[in-house]
Amino acid sequence: MKKRIFGMLLAGTMMLSLAACGGSGSGSATPSPSTSTPAASESPAGVSKDDLKVGVVLVGEENDNGYNYNHVVGIKEMQEEYGLKDDQIIYKTNVHEDAGCDTALRELVEAGCQIIFCNSFGHEPYMVEVAADYPNVQFCHATGYISASDDKDNTHNYFTSIFQARYLTGIAAGLKAKEIGNTKLGYVAAKPFAEVISGYTAFYLGAKSVYPDATMEVMYTNEWSDATLEAQVAQALIDDGCGVISQHSDTTAPATTAESNGAFQVGYNADMISAAPHASLVSARVDWGVYYKYAVGCMIKGAAIAQDWCQGLKEGAVYLSPLNTDIAAPGTADAIEDAKAKIISGEIHVFDGPLTGTNADGEALDLKQGEYYHESEEASAPSFDYIIPGITVVQ
Amino acid sequence: MSINFMGMLMAAVLAGAPLLFGVLGEILTEKSGNLNLGVEGMMFMGGVAGLAGSFYYEQSAADPSAVVSALLAMGCAFLCAAFGAFIYSVLTITLRANQNVTGLALTIFGTGFGNFFGEAIGNSTASHYMAVGDVTKAVFNSGIPVLRDLPVVGQLLFSYNFMVYLALAVAGVMAWFFSRTRAGLNLHAVGESPATADAAGINVTRYKYLSTCLGGGICGLGGLYVVMNSASGVGGVWVYNCMNGKGWIAVALVIFATWSPARALLGSLVFGALSIMRFYVPLGIPAQIYDIFPYIATVMVLIAVSLRKKRENQPPESLGLAYFREER
Repeated sequence: MKKRIFGMLLAGTMMLSLAACGGSGSGSATPSPSTSTPAASESPAGVSKDDLKVGVVLVGEENDNGYNYNHVVGIKEMQEEYGLKDDQIIYKTNVHEDAGCDTALRELVEAGCQIIFCNSFGHEPYMVEVAADYPNVQFCHATGYISASDDKDNTHNYFTSIFQARYLTGIAAGLKAKEIGNTKLGYVAAKPFAEVISGYTAFYLGAKSVYPDATMEVMYTNEWSDATLEAQVAQALIDDGCGVISQHSDTTAPATTAESNGAFQVGYNADMISAAPHASLVSARVDWGVYYKYAVGCMIKGAAIAQDWCQGLKEGAVYLSPLNTDIAAPGTADAIEDAKAKIISGEIHVFDGPLTGTNADGEALDLKQGEYYHESEEASAPSFDYIIPGITVVQ
Repeated sequence: MSINFMGMLMAAVLAGAPLLFGVLGEILTEKSGNLNLGVEGMMFMGGVAGLAGSFYYEQSAADPSAVVSALLAMGCAFLCAAFGAFIYSVLTITLRANQNVTGLALTIFGTGFGNFFGEAIGNSTASHYMAVGDVTKAVFNSGIPVLRDLPVVGQLLFSYNFMVYLALAVAGVMAWFFSRTRAGLNLHAVGESPATADAAGINVTRYKYLSTCLGGGICGLGGLYVVMNSASGVGGVWVYNCMNGKGWIAVALVIFATWSPARALLGSLVFGALSIMRFYVPLGIPAQIYDIFPYIATVMVLIAVSLRKKRENQPPESLGLAYFREER
């Protein structure tokens, strides 16, 4: 009998802990009949700051020190700007690109959110479906493209011209590659999507602008965030002779791998110098706070949120983390400043002709001198998906 | 791109090491007749506990010592995972619950346990993520001093982190234990036929408990490896869902290795190599195909083993069955 009680206690401990785990991240969802859904007023009067509730759906969690961290930083900027209390912002973390996203969104609506942000590409199909059921709630989606052109007024897309910042970091990489005399750049890429291809092409073009001999090798992890895979890919690139690597992936693994191999690295999302002081040159970063302040500001004013939103270097929505002057090649800071001014003035469009390439569908790109690819101008989501000469995708 | 075999071999060893811990722990468990499918869960428990051990030690010590930090991490990882195995043992050995169901429950429990505490401890800090300092990172990510600087062999044999050598040592000790000691033979008897072992005066319950808990602890070291080493020096940070199915691959590897620690060495190297192969041997096929290779290899081994019907290569006869003395 004693054994049974003990066993039941053990089993009970397991269940309780599980319940605790299941509870984490699921906010304060008090179910209320959906008929009485607290909705954003249809009149342009706006929502008062005290009544405002903001929902945030994150594909990961803040402690990734990368992509999600960057979004949370932006949300906090917005929170400070409007003086919102902590319980006015409800986070749903580790929401994957599956039916769990649907549940998370409905819970946020039930909890009274008038505006909801989602941050992962695969969230959008679920968001669009849920949005149809709650026309009075505003749904905003980062990196997507459906909402930008659909007929719903309550779905919105937002993204930044991160390719501009990547072009600038490419300059730092190109100058470093030139200094160490290694023409081969490497790139740890997440998935073969336009967002990623646009990013690494911009990075490569930046490097090439200062080091015309440079070539680049790209390998995909097929995951947005997987430290082990990112380290393995970075190692493989360095083993194959790459001297400077960059990444479109969420962790600092490529930085630390470069560090332990004596190679150099350009980061994304977070300043990675503390993780790899002898390898990380600079990082391209997004300031999501610019958008969050804008969108929530619209709610308070009662103004309509743009169907599609995209800002870049000029507006401060993308920027570079501080340059690691101890290891950067001489003249890097000046070269970056120079190019930055030219991007802001419109002299450089990043994807400037002459430029050729082919995408996965076999479509060819052929830009003449003076022409440029209008990235993120018609829609915020990146659309440049051509592989250009000089870049080798290994698979 | 020409193939860099040296780089691939080294990457394979690093990728195979956490699998080796998992497979060795599970072999020890299964030798006693307990089929513990909770390897993934125990790896999570070990990983988060080991990281937390180092993390809190560094927070509390004014001048943290690398060796103490590493030992604490290993101790916490081992004990926490062994505790997971202990829960399993009570349920399956003493209460004779279904082993498959209990093992699956342990996987779900351990996964939640790891992610919950990983996140909770992270959120309790200012930086919002649980990470250890450079001292601990360095001790987990450096090769053998002096020897690693030898030309060629230094890089190939002595440049790995100490956990790799620990895994090799565990494999060696286990191989010796199974075939050269009385206790090893007794354990063998318990796994094959507990009733016979019982009649011969072997304490079946004690053998089952000990081997399951020790095996669980070894799996926990695999979890610690994933947390501290796999990401080559990002190391020492809790990443959500970081085990990512490695525990399940370890369970498959036990079959691949046909319950032999020596073949577990080969198996984990092969599986490690297959997991990183697409970065070194580009064949121009979709990446998902590469991910299938380890499982195809397992199926092939299963077919080969069942065709050959060699008695040494069969699973312990009582594997998966609860032993009830009164039913002899």
